Amino acid sequence: MFNFKKDTDTGRSALNKSSRSSSDVTKRASVSIGGKTMIGSTVVIEGNITSAEDLIIEGKVSGTISAAGHEVTVGQAGQLNANISAKIVRIEGKVEGDISGGEKVIISKTGNVLGNIDAPRVTLEDGAKFKGSIAMDPDEKPAIKAVPNGKSDLFPGAATSDKTNAS
Amino acid sequence: MFRAKVEKVAGATATSQDYALCTMLHSNLAAATFDSLQPDKQLIVLDVGLAMAATVDFFSQFKCKLLFVDLYAEDFVTDISEDISHQELVSLFRQSLNIPDNCTIDICLFWDFFNYLDGTLIKAFIEALQPYVGEHTRGFGLGALNSRCQLPNSCYGLMAKDTLTQCPRSDEQRPVFPHSQRDLKDYLDYFEINKSRLMSDGRVEYLITRCNDSVRVKKPIF
Repeated sequence: MFNFKKDTDTGRSALNKSSRSSSDVTKRASVSIGGKTMIGSTVVIEGNITSAEDLIIEGKVSGTISAAGHEVTVGQAGQLNANISAKIVRIEGKVEGDISGGEKVIISKTGNVLGNIDAPRVTLEDGAKFKGSIAMDPDEKPAIKAVPNGKSDLFPGAATSDKTNAS
Repeated sequence: MFRAKVEKVAGATATSQDYALCTMLHSNLAAATFDSLQPDKQLIVLDVGLAMAATVDFFSQFKCKLLFVDLYAEDFVTDISEDISHQELVSLFRQSLNIPDNCTIDICLFWDFFNYLDGTLIKAFIEALQPYVGEHTRGFGLGALNSRCQLPNSCYGLMAKDTLTQCPRSDEQRPVFPHSQRDLKDYLDYFEINKSRLMSDGRVEYLITRCNDSVRVKKPIF
């Protein structure tokens, strides 16, 4: 009996703790899961993101994203007005901006990209929407290229100050 | 640097269901567009249609730059206005192409674009393209055998040098202006139809090359 109650209390405590954590997470700009940082779908970021780990973006970002040596995934809910530079870039959402991939760039079937892509290898899945240019060089050694001038001139109005809003 | 228009994110395309209906077409002439390429030079390819997975996959073996513009969807192409002047049309095409200065295209994938343009629009498009066309620029096109032939509402990709992929477009069929080879030859100005081959379904494929000036002056002036 005692043990049962104790277990029940522990269970409730764990549940409450879990609820709090979940609530806290939705209010944060990002959450780190297994070595990957996720920017949630309610997050709006204006500015430059520099990351030393993999990024999953489901929110809205205007500015630049740089993750040298890492992977950037723009999820299906992700909407970017941003230039992206990373080792591997995977687009499942909507991107307006230039993309530089040190190793490869993948636009999945749900992806929609307007901009210029530069990477040794580029894969466009059936159903992907793309308008712009693709520069490829299969002999090029994988390298991370800097985002040109920090920001694409596609979006001259994008804010330069780093600002994060979680709505 | 090639700069895509901001206001128009890649629009009408083939849907996932449409891709299940894609077919392969054998081409006798597409391979000839690669004949005059210089090794080690970055290959510049203009594709006036939708960006297709097959085309990107095929060209991934080359050091290249692919320019995808999908001119088929441009308003001034779909809603033809009689009030617009030739020079305005040239300017609109040049804006849509948005090709960087000093860029010389090696291969133009015209697909069946000319069939969606009347003679006036073809001439404006050809003039808009001229600054980016070099002596060795080659083009590939698809046409109707004669003006009675209809063309499917399709988008195309290059799967291999001798194989095309054809997928249905999800948007509405636009008005078609099938041109005979003779008419098309006259509209192309500094280009000429170097070779043409009848395809199995009654369509014609064209290898388009730059013509020399002596041939060009013999063409009728409209």
